[in-house]
Amino acid sequence: MKNAYWKNIFINWGKEESETITIIKKIPIFANLNHRELEEVSKLLHDRIYKPDEYIFKRHAPGEGMFIIHSGIVNIIVGEASGNSQVLAELSNGDFFGEMALMEDEVRSAAALAKDHSRLLGFFRPDLETLIEINPSLGNKILQNLSKVVCTRLRKTNDLLMENQLVKKKKS
Amino acid sequence: MNDDKNYIQLIYRLIVIVISFGFLTIIWPYISSVITMLIFAFLFTTILLPLVDQLESKINSRAISIIIVTISLITTFVVFLKSFASGMLSQARDFSKQIGTKGYDDNLNSLATKLESYLNKYINIPDIDSSNFVSKINIMVGEIIQNLMSLASAIGGFIFTTIMVLIFTIILLSNYHEFKKSIVQFIPNKYFEMGLRVIFNIERQVSKYLQGQLLAASSVALMSFIGLSILNLMGANLTLVVFIAIIAGLANLIPLVGPFAGMLPAILVAIMNNIGSDIAINHQIFNTIPSPFYILDIIIMFLIVQQIDNNIVTPILVGESVGIHPLIVMISLLIGGTLIGPIGMLLAVPAAGILKVIGVEIMFLRRNAHLL
Repeated sequence: MKNAYWKNIFINWGKEESETITIIKKIPIFANLNHRELEEVSKLLHDRIYKPDEYIFKRHAPGEGMFIIHSGIVNIIVGEASGNSQVLAELSNGDFFGEMALMEDEVRSAAALAKDHSRLLGFFRPDLETLIEINPSLGNKILQNLSKVVCTRLRKTNDLLMENQLVKKKKS
Repeated sequence: MNDDKNYIQLIYRLIVIVISFGFLTIIWPYISSVITMLIFAFLFTTILLPLVDQLESKINSRAISIIIVTISLITTFVVFLKSFASGMLSQARDFSKQIGTKGYDDNLNSLATKLESYLNKYINIPDIDSSNFVSKINIMVGEIIQNLMSLASAIGGFIFTTIMVLIFTIILLSNYHEFKKSIVQFIPNKYFEMGLRVIFNIERQVSKYLQGQLLAASSVALMSFIGLSILNLMGANLTLVVFIAIIAGLANLIPLVGPFAGMLPAILVAIMNNIGSDIAINHQIFNTIPSPFYILDIIIMFLIVQQIDNNIVTPILVGESVGIHPLIVMISLLIGGTLIGPIGMLLAVPAAGILKVIGVEIMFLRRNAHLL
């Protein structure tokens, strides 16, 4: 009985790093975060299970945050569900999507569909806003990382656009 | 066929709703006090949560953060209660001494005669029996003492409720985020993001409203303190100024009715302290308008405080946090007051605010239902 009491108090001592932390520390948005900060973030994450062919979100639906794939496969789809839809990307373990919704209260620009039985970790704007309020330095780190991710994506898009224009010029 | 099925479903739902309501009405008397305690614990949690969260991020221990916040809260409350009780006791002692003195009856008699002459100036009253007036006041004082006895038993109940609310608040504070997460996890995937949005909006509105109200109450208390001190400089001879100001601030939390309730302790103290003073009885504002016992001065002072609060302080501090139409505020106050008395009036506006947020989000859901 006595031992059980002390065991309960030191329950976290010598405990190995949780699976969630192992996954999220590889995500660029949570880069440069120390263990304590990662633990704080992991407390805010929502664990969700999706069946095959279940929509995580549809295009034009109001977006509230990003998802990290713990396990499974998720397809990012653009275009209308009625016919001319196109798979933009196939994401798997450790990938993330929907991060734009962390910064703006806008509708989703693409749909996300679970291709397989998938376990996702959700990180949502309300939780980020709370984090910014209660721990501004951690909130600031995440926001900086988020802007870096968006900048990288913008640069890539610019490169693709320029390549596309060059190809068009060559053709003409 | 499909219509028939819908019809049966509707009847089934109606029966379930009626049975649930009936069951709730039967068990309500047994659970109402616990529910009220839980509501208060939730409100305190909403107010204290940002403080605990911020402290936790600095000292890295939620338990110690909660202990620090709770102990400082209890200390403030106990210090306030102790000095309030001792202030009240000395006030009561002085008053009973005054009653004991021989001049008390004469003072009341002279007051009655003066009141009679004042009234006769404006209204033609045939005759007021001043001795009857004195005996009535004496009976009233006896009744007040009797009421004080029943107040003592009420205080016992209040202490029990306070301890229970404190325990609930500590439990909620320590597990709030886990508690919220465990509720949220039951939302189906389809409505998950929308559900989070609704919960967050409700939480934000309630927290904003409560913090704003608390700030507004503090500003009313501060302004009342300044106002009462100015009246004291003018010779109003008011005691317990800090407590009267705090009570006025707290009363201000109840819209419409509160501001007037806040004036009463000040008027009572002014009458009790000045009952033997001719200067106070004959006091006139700007030497023209009669204001016995500085009552009119006190009313005007509180009206000025109310005007500053309503037109300058509240719009800046609280803003349009809940943004409910004044008519709805009045209706919700009446409903809250009828259902559970003054506590209902205190909770009426935040409750109306929560219902408004839920309404707005349901409309938003309906508009975007095809996207889910």
